[in-house]
Amino acid sequence: MTASLPENSHKYDLGFARWVYKNINGADKLSMCMQCGTCSGSCPIGSDMDNGPRKLFMMIRAGMKEEVFNSDTLWNCTSCYRCTVRCPRGIPVTYIVQGLAAKATHLGYATEQDAARFAKSFWWSLTHFGRTDERLVTAKYYFSFGLVKGIKKSLENLKIAFGMVMKGRMHLGPPHKVSANKDLRAILAKAQEIEAREQQGGAES
Amino acid sequence: MSDPGKKKFVYYPGCSSQGSSKHLDQSLRAIVPALGLEMEEIDDWNCCGASVGNIGGGRLATTTLSGRNLAKAEQQQATDVITGCAACYLNTHGSNEKIKADIALRRNVNESLAVGDMSYEANLQVRHACEVIVNEVGFDKIKERVTNPLEGLKVAGYVGCQTVRPFANTESGGNYDTFDDPEFLDQFAEACGAEAVEFDFKTSCCGGSVAVISPEKTLHLIKDILQAAEDAGADVISTPCPLCQTNVEMYQSAINKKFGTEFNIPVVFYSQLMAKAFGLDAKDDAGLHRNTVRNDKLEILVKDA
Repeated sequence: MTASLPENSHKYDLGFARWVYKNINGADKLSMCMQCGTCSGSCPIGSDMDNGPRKLFMMIRAGMKEEVFNSDTLWNCTSCYRCTVRCPRGIPVTYIVQGLAAKATHLGYATEQDAARFAKSFWWSLTHFGRTDERLVTAKYYFSFGLVKGIKKSLENLKIAFGMVMKGRMHLGPPHKVSANKDLRAILAKAQEIEAREQQGGAES
Repeated sequence: MSDPGKKKFVYYPGCSSQGSSKHLDQSLRAIVPALGLEMEEIDDWNCCGASVGNIGGGRLATTTLSGRNLAKAEQQQATDVITGCAACYLNTHGSNEKIKADIALRRNVNESLAVGDMSYEANLQVRHACEVIVNEVGFDKIKERVTNPLEGLKVAGYVGCQTVRPFANTESGGNYDTFDDPEFLDQFAEACGAEAVEFDFKTSCCGGSVAVISPEKTLHLIKDILQAAEDAGADVISTPCPLCQTNVEMYQSAINKKFGTEFNIPVVFYSQLMAKAFGLDAKDDAGLHRNTVRNDKLEILVKDA
């Protein structure tokens, strides 16, 4: 008996993969992936993702840049690192998925994803105060959906917020700040400038 | 066991210490000196970037956030940086190890820090408070310190993810415990005179930041954790992680509404239990008045002198 040959919908196209290997933290090990699926099988919400890491990595090899950067897999990572510690090939899966999310944001993809909105609010607090103000990050995230949705989301979580206030676990005064805040902002701007300078090649491939 | 006398510990509290996890900060500041270690706070520390900083600001900027804190700690002549927060540990430790190993990255971090007249020489160790307690203090010394054993209290030790993943059982991570079936939290509870129940969900994910961003995607994860704790007969869940503590606690009413359950299980920090077992003040040291989900067992802890 002869096994039937699989019909490949996509051929190998390593141009994009090579760009990923070079430009995503940890992805230099990605070529070691043997498609075993331990990562997707270990993921706490893998079954809710459109692709999961295993398939996403094969899509990278197939040169499916648009589909990769638009995949919701990038935005549903809970950062539990189970895939990373279990990968039999030693691939830092979590770092790669997060690195792809960062790059997708930078290249203008997926701006409507919830996690992308949240990341934006988070970075806003960080660059303004040097610290995360949980209250303001959450409010800014809720209202990134617009006024009506923002009010709705706030009301849904009012009971939780009230409980935290009553227990002294929601800060109510002006945000806690790093005193050398201006320096910190300049340091971060410099880091971003260096990262842009060192970016190897475009993602056009 | 190494000699703590030759070390200088500097403490990185992290942003949640000023908000949702004040009770972790409060209890750590109480138990660490009680266990014979001194620590001073990093001067003017900044956020570590948590799970999403990388997405908002890019990799080098996120690594540099840790670089600035480490440079500050170095200025304070620290040898070891201690943090109690899982995300702070993950980012600061991970960045530190990369800065040590990758000379080009260190150069870039220092080129950025130079804008603020700072530099990091990569001489520090970054350590989780739990690892420090395991390796620098030890379970016997915890037992010696207990004056108020938590007799009859059944504790489900919920370790969560980032405290042990990916750095547990690695040389730089302090060679303590494992990432799938860690035992240190159970041993902490037992050392405090409580009973550690058999709890299979000890390293199951609560949803992390996704639970905050899109709770509908992760409520079932927390429900499974609560169910396992209830089935194990736990009076309280004990955890080291700020986000685990907040998520598993604050979503209980939403879970009860969605799944028709009746969970009411307090989620405390291991350090709150230790502070109480050491006979320290239930409010000022253990911060036990800050937990939002409360049952009789928790109230007994608060009242018992």
